[in-house]
Amino acid sequence: MTQTIELLPGVTLRCFPDDRFKQGTLSFQIIRPMAAGEVALNALIPTVLLRGTVRHPDLRSITLRLDELYGAAVGATVRRVGDYQTTGLTCGFIEDKYALPGDRVLEPMLDFLRELLLEPVLHEGGFDPGFVESEKKNLISTIESDLNDKRVYAMNKMLRAMCRADSYGIPRLGTVEDVAKIDPVTAWEHYQRILRTSRVDIFYVGTAPAETVARLLMPIFDGIHRDYQPLGPQTPFHDAGGEDLVETMDVAQGKLCLGYVTPITNRDPRFAAMQVANAIFGAGMTSKLFVNVREKLSLCYSIGSGYYGSKGLVTVSAGIDFAREEQTRAEIARQLDAVRSGEITEEELRSAKEALLSSLRSTHDSPGAIEGYYATAALSGLAMTPAQYMDAIRAVTAEQVAAAARELRLHTTYFLKGETA
Amino acid sequence: MKKYEYPELGEVLYKERLANGLTVAVVPRPGFTKKLAYLVTDFGSVHTDFTLEGREVHAPAGIAHFLEHKMFDLPGDRDVSAELAALGAGTNAFTSYDMTAYYISCTENFEAALRLLIEFVSTPYFTEESVAKEIGIIDQEIGMNEDAPDSRVFENLVRCLYREHLIRVPILGTSDTIRQITPALLYDCHRAFYTPGNMILCVVGDVDPDRVARIAEEMLGSGEKSVGVKLRPWVEAMDAAGEDPTERMEVAMPTFQLGFKCEPSGRGVEAIRQEVIGDLAAEALFGESSETYLRLYEEGLIDSSFGGGFETIDGMAMLLCSGDSDDAEAVRSAILESGGKIAREGVSEQDFLRMKRSALGRRIRDLDSFDSTCFRVCAYHLSDFDYFRFPAVYQDVKAEELREFLGRVVRPERCCLSVIEPKEE
Repeated sequence: MTQTIELLPGVTLRCFPDDRFKQGTLSFQIIRPMAAGEVALNALIPTVLLRGTVRHPDLRSITLRLDELYGAAVGATVRRVGDYQTTGLTCGFIEDKYALPGDRVLEPMLDFLRELLLEPVLHEGGFDPGFVESEKKNLISTIESDLNDKRVYAMNKMLRAMCRADSYGIPRLGTVEDVAKIDPVTAWEHYQRILRTSRVDIFYVGTAPAETVARLLMPIFDGIHRDYQPLGPQTPFHDAGGEDLVETMDVAQGKLCLGYVTPITNRDPRFAAMQVANAIFGAGMTSKLFVNVREKLSLCYSIGSGYYGSKGLVTVSAGIDFAREEQTRAEIARQLDAVRSGEITEEELRSAKEALLSSLRSTHDSPGAIEGYYATAALSGLAMTPAQYMDAIRAVTAEQVAAAARELRLHTTYFLKGETA
Repeated sequence: MKKYEYPELGEVLYKERLANGLTVAVVPRPGFTKKLAYLVTDFGSVHTDFTLEGREVHAPAGIAHFLEHKMFDLPGDRDVSAELAALGAGTNAFTSYDMTAYYISCTENFEAALRLLIEFVSTPYFTEESVAKEIGIIDQEIGMNEDAPDSRVFENLVRCLYREHLIRVPILGTSDTIRQITPALLYDCHRAFYTPGNMILCVVGDVDPDRVARIAEEMLGSGEKSVGVKLRPWVEAMDAAGEDPTERMEVAMPTFQLGFKCEPSGRGVEAIRQEVIGDLAAEALFGESSETYLRLYEEGLIDSSFGGGFETIDGMAMLLCSGDSDDAEAVRSAILESGGKIAREGVSEQDFLRMKRSALGRRIRDLDSFDSTCFRVCAYHLSDFDYFRFPAVYQDVKAEELREFLGRVVRPERCCLSVIEPKEE
């Protein structure tokens, strides 16, 4: 069973004892409010930490150390969870029993994590300026590479317009300008402050007892003078009015994005019905959008919808021929109307529920999925375990789905079209 | 089913070749709820030319992928995806250069879902209308690919690197070639390559291996059918075929792929041996633990998008790296120089052991992934190798083989550099 240990005020270790995996997984996440002033800093910091420590002062020596730990991996994890941003490091490493006889991995791994977190290379009261500059360049290029995937680019453009008064309108990694402004001293001071004051969530999946993991983690906190400041709760969508946007670019395929708002968030008793409504409407290969707009009418290659439960947003994204914009918009509206008016077959309801249930059931089959669920669900405001969540989904009726769909209001649209169209 | 044990990996494999020719493999995962089944045929985009019952067939480029799309149609207006979805099973498929895979994953109703998977993959049903409609859908997919710099940069690279091998042609084919596809050609390909003797079924999950074998036999019968014979006319010289390609697209920054032609890997243990040597050589040459990586990273010539490895496809192999860079030419020079240095000086025994331990550890961790394990058991089976025997291969390779490999492969005449530049304003 899950074991939760409060290591210090605001610092929680959640252990999922499991002997089915060949690797242990540990993630160390600092929880921050999603705020324009610090989003880029929080995204940058874990990548700077991974560049070098006093004892392992460059990328190569870090990699050599990880090689010794049987090809262990440490990566930066930065997530948006409703109004919060989480930033930190996630480690994957083989279980001790697969190491050479007598060799141990967990203990040196957690000591290396401590080293990465607390002993970065410093220079004149800041992070190493060379590390900061090259990681800023990396982060800028990651942000700019959104342009390479036109679907992501179009969706981000729409969400930013739609959510300009909401934290959801803040780019997950900040803007290029935010990153460019960062200097090594400010970054180091910010990092020390967030280590001291923020909520820290740690997750471990593996065979070691919780007490052992807790003991091995404590040296991290011996080096921090904690002064915990709790966060405010998640908030619903802040509406600044909708827009209809069109952008022109030299592309072969058009991208149409629609944004809907709903008062139903994951704190609402109708949440499961909204989730099922979204699945019937546009999520997956049996949804109305896929079956009708793509398969029956061949209006698009790709189409799908997504529901952001922490905020109460539903988005639709379609890759289409430029000339089919109006037809596609009309067809999407028609499919949503069908859900609203309860034109839902037994088959559609069952398939939608089964898809959601199946993914929840298999949450416990991968260390990454276990970490992902528990690191985001509760934090985003969802107060249910996977088992409770499944019960809620099973209980949803077609009438409840239609009622939830009737709460959707089209808010913002965006169309990316070609220069010749 | 025959049981094989691999105590050093904590793995067990049940495997058998049925009377109808189908290979069935089961990797038990006691205590897990997820079940994953792959049904894979040894038929990919490069296999357009073959003989079937004494007759030569030359199919248009893109037919393997087209066939994959059309396999989801069943007679009587049945919708396989919907039937599987009603069982709570997800399904999808992909076509690569040298194989086509169909898979289902579920947590309940596994046997019913497995039957459906075998049924739809073994039931060809193509009409003029459904083929005409699919052309529209795949044309959109081709359009989407044309906007994707990662696909373009690779397709440009292999087109300039290779003369003969059909990796030169995109998996999806082109707008022109897909219009030449007919129901008759699709039936030919299905008859030639979707016979049990050309396929493997692999299941990962908490299932009864003998039940899986029995279901496969029930669904496919026990008689063995004839298999198409691939014509592999491509004989490649090891020098690059053409000039370095450059294209301009709507991208934020220049991106590149650098490829070195390698000799094809053969089959069986030799194939995976080549792959292990290729992977370790890639690590020594430009991996994160190499001096070259550190220098290029610190000089800002590569960033965290950089990566690479050894790729093998039926009839070809390639050492490949890619990333974003303002000066891809400088990256190539550094890699050529580093290859020359390792070829002269070799890799120290200590570095070699460290790289092997790291690579082995990563492969062991990957076994936690259902998808990666299922895919690898199938892919290695198609080249006649039992995947779970990989630890012995790592023990067997020698540092000297890395040096020999890099000396042979990392040469200017064997490589092409493909670059995508941003459009000028």
